[in-house]
Amino acid sequence: MINLTYDVIVIGGGPGGYVAAIKAAQLGAKVAVVEKERLGGVCLNWGCIPTKTLLHNAKLYKDIQKSGDLGIRGIDKEKLNIDWKSFIAHKDSVVDRLVSGIYMLFRKNKVDLIEGMAQIIDKTHVEVNGQTLESKNLIIATGASENIPDLPGLKDGFDKSLLLNSRATLQIEEIPKEPVILGGNVYAVEFATLFNALGSNITMIFNSDGILSTVEKEMSKTLERQLKKDGVKIIAKAEIKSLSYEGIIADVKGKEKIYKADKYLLSLGIKPNLSGLENLNLKLNSKGFVETNEKMETNIKGVYAIGDVNGKYPLAHVASAEGIVAAENIMSKVSKMNYNHVPLVAYTFPEIASVGLTEEQAKEKGHDITISKFPLSANGKALSEDDTVGFIKIISDNEYGEIIGTHIMAGNASDMISSAVAIMQLEGTVFDMAKTILPHPTSSEIFMEAAFGAIDKPIHI
Amino acid sequence: MKYEYRFPDIGEGIHEGTIIKWLVDIGDNVNEGDSIAEVETDKVTTEIPTPKSGKVLELMADAGDVINVGEVFITIDTSGEADETEAQVDENEEIVEEETAGVVGEVIVSSEEIPPSTEGIVSTKKAVNKKKILATPVARALAKDLGVDINEVIGTGPGGRVMKEDIRNFKDSLSEIEEPKSKVDEVSSDFVKLEEEVSKGESITRVPLTRIRKTIAEKMTQSRFTIPHTTAMDEIDVSKLDDFRKKYKSILKEEDVNLTYLPFIIKAAITALKILPEFNASLDEENNELILKHFYHIGIATDTERGLMVPVIRNVDRKSIVELAKAIVDLGTRAKENKIDLSELKGSTFSITNYGSIGGYYGIPIINYPESAILGLGRVVKKPIVRDDEIVIAKILPVSLSYDHRIIDGASGARFLNILRELLTDPELLLLKS
Repeated sequence: MINLTYDVIVIGGGPGGYVAAIKAAQLGAKVAVVEKERLGGVCLNWGCIPTKTLLHNAKLYKDIQKSGDLGIRGIDKEKLNIDWKSFIAHKDSVVDRLVSGIYMLFRKNKVDLIEGMAQIIDKTHVEVNGQTLESKNLIIATGASENIPDLPGLKDGFDKSLLLNSRATLQIEEIPKEPVILGGNVYAVEFATLFNALGSNITMIFNSDGILSTVEKEMSKTLERQLKKDGVKIIAKAEIKSLSYEGIIADVKGKEKIYKADKYLLSLGIKPNLSGLENLNLKLNSKGFVETNEKMETNIKGVYAIGDVNGKYPLAHVASAEGIVAAENIMSKVSKMNYNHVPLVAYTFPEIASVGLTEEQAKEKGHDITISKFPLSANGKALSEDDTVGFIKIISDNEYGEIIGTHIMAGNASDMISSAVAIMQLEGTVFDMAKTILPHPTSSEIFMEAAFGAIDKPIHI
Repeated sequence: MKYEYRFPDIGEGIHEGTIIKWLVDIGDNVNEGDSIAEVETDKVTTEIPTPKSGKVLELMADAGDVINVGEVFITIDTSGEADETEAQVDENEEIVEEETAGVVGEVIVSSEEIPPSTEGIVSTKKAVNKKKILATPVARALAKDLGVDINEVIGTGPGGRVMKEDIRNFKDSLSEIEEPKSKVDEVSSDFVKLEEEVSKGESITRVPLTRIRKTIAEKMTQSRFTIPHTTAMDEIDVSKLDDFRKKYKSILKEEDVNLTYLPFIIKAAITALKILPEFNASLDEENNELILKHFYHIGIATDTERGLMVPVIRNVDRKSIVELAKAIVDLGTRAKENKIDLSELKGSTFSITNYGSIGGYYGIPIINYPESAILGLGRVVKKPIVRDDEIVIAKILPVSLSYDHRIIDGASGARFLNILRELLTDPELLLLKS
């Protein structure tokens, strides 16, 4: 009998992999993580955290520009400018602090870190840097990379650093003056928000009818209007044809158009990182991602797949939740993934955050629903902070008043959505929410008001 | 203090009983352990003892009434009793009445359990979970609407929280169980048709089934539709056994022992069971395992006025033929007089049915589920047989052995009968071997 060295080897140290490793170690497993670059994965190093750091700076810059209206004197708008290199340095220091925190957590939980590219030999053997490791279980957490469509010039542009993925964008030398963003998804919109706030002239080109096609319609429409108001050019229903030094050539409503930019930012979806996994013969779904069940098991016994590589939700918090489910299943705990209440946030100005069903989805599923809306403009805290663009919309099922969808647009929607996630996870109703005493003044009060609205009428409108 | 005594759970999954007779009257003083009523359940008639001493205040049902487990059926004024120790016990070990939300009103399940015997009360205390069950608001509302007892639902949410999906799944599983009911409905609608047809000049009488008849019906259906029965038959020459029996019959008669064929047949059967253990077994279908039993409790099918009863003679292998003869008479008499305990009606590992005592010859007995075999005995008759190439008159015992063909092959059935034949044709060999 082979005496396996590890109980679990995790391939990839992103928010899915490192969380899975720590959880498995806490449950008593002997764990190793194989990471080819830096712990923290895309999210910490080249995704969520860096963009949020830069967006915070950008917001501050915008607020300072507006501060004169509130009576703050002594700021010369003419002299106000951005030291992009310092922005990047600050971002890097934040990232470094967080990443070093994971190294510390690994030491604390006795998780072995093996740096290198993993080549899987079979379901119990992994080769890294010529060394073979044995493990009873594998967790595949290799993530995903940007999808570069097979169109003329795109690959070439990418190689020549004319077309940038999000990782390259975050290392960019200077703020692009007239970037063209390919795509209309959350990442595209966040980059548009960032560079727009920092003074770039932005054009967004994408195929769908509008930005954020998967988000609640009224919110995405409102945000699109807001972006246009701020000077972002939005070219919807455009079919990108090719990229050359002349620019991006796209078919817009039957006409061929050229969009010239100093930088082209790529945000056209992702594809799973499957290199090194070939020997496993993992079953893939129709989109090419690793197929998993609710226990995060793949078709190979003892091999689990979490995070972007399974293509369910390309979100760090989902990857972490999946990592915990995989670790618990490996350690013989009953654990299943429930995707019904996954929150989704776009860190735009204002932010938008959603959990559960949209109006259309709820109707499609046959729910008899009530939609209750409450605007941020009737909220004390929002007014005092001069941040009144936005609203909340809650969708409740009429049978018991269960809240089945919550959509918030507000400056701090990302923080406000958490109470909705919690109450929906507990299958709470509008009656429960209306009875909940919320602190005053907070922007979260709009949630309670909307709950009153769903039952009868809101108080403050 | 007024004590409300709820009809106790006497075990065996009995939910209701019929009060045959009150043994006390209003105003009577009763002592703890005194029998207060005779109650018929679907298994047995039993006397219910009172758990408290005092004066009978009310009798909440009349003789003939059906009472459900958990219903108050008598109240007793216990104020005359100052039982300090008991009060103490009650304080420390509170007997909680479990409240369960039912479809129709609320059923209060008595937390007291007593054995059906009249030996006295064994105070068993059920651990009752009185904690509010962890459930989501929607799950609670849904449970109420669907008439689901949320306490019975196993939650799959974090920390065992009952989610709305759990209620739906529970309800679905209930509906699946309830499904056979609709079959019954179909059948009864056939009977409605029958009633319409016979109304032309003919007549029928509808006789409600007694509890015992209902139980018999259920048990027979379960056995016949679960076990693929097969029956082996044979004729055994018991002439020598009859001579042997007659030789001692009169002697034993003085000791009040009626020596019939049955104790010998039981002995022979035990010997066969020891050689062929699959006949003293049960099939565990869930785990695909055969449960071989290393004890021999023989059920004796007995005809009583109220219907078929199967009292059990325990540890038959350790009893002599005379002891068996006594036990047969004792149990048979008490079964007929309805003076038998529930405990004496269960635990058999093999059964014998002696329809020959009434006059049958061959039968195809139905196995006493979940046993694996049953031996049927016909009437012993004189028959011409060929013995040593001569036609002689012999006493012939016809036997029918039904067995579970899932676990016992035909060859084994034949072997079992061979052993019986060998032993019953030669009583001396029987005595040597048993």
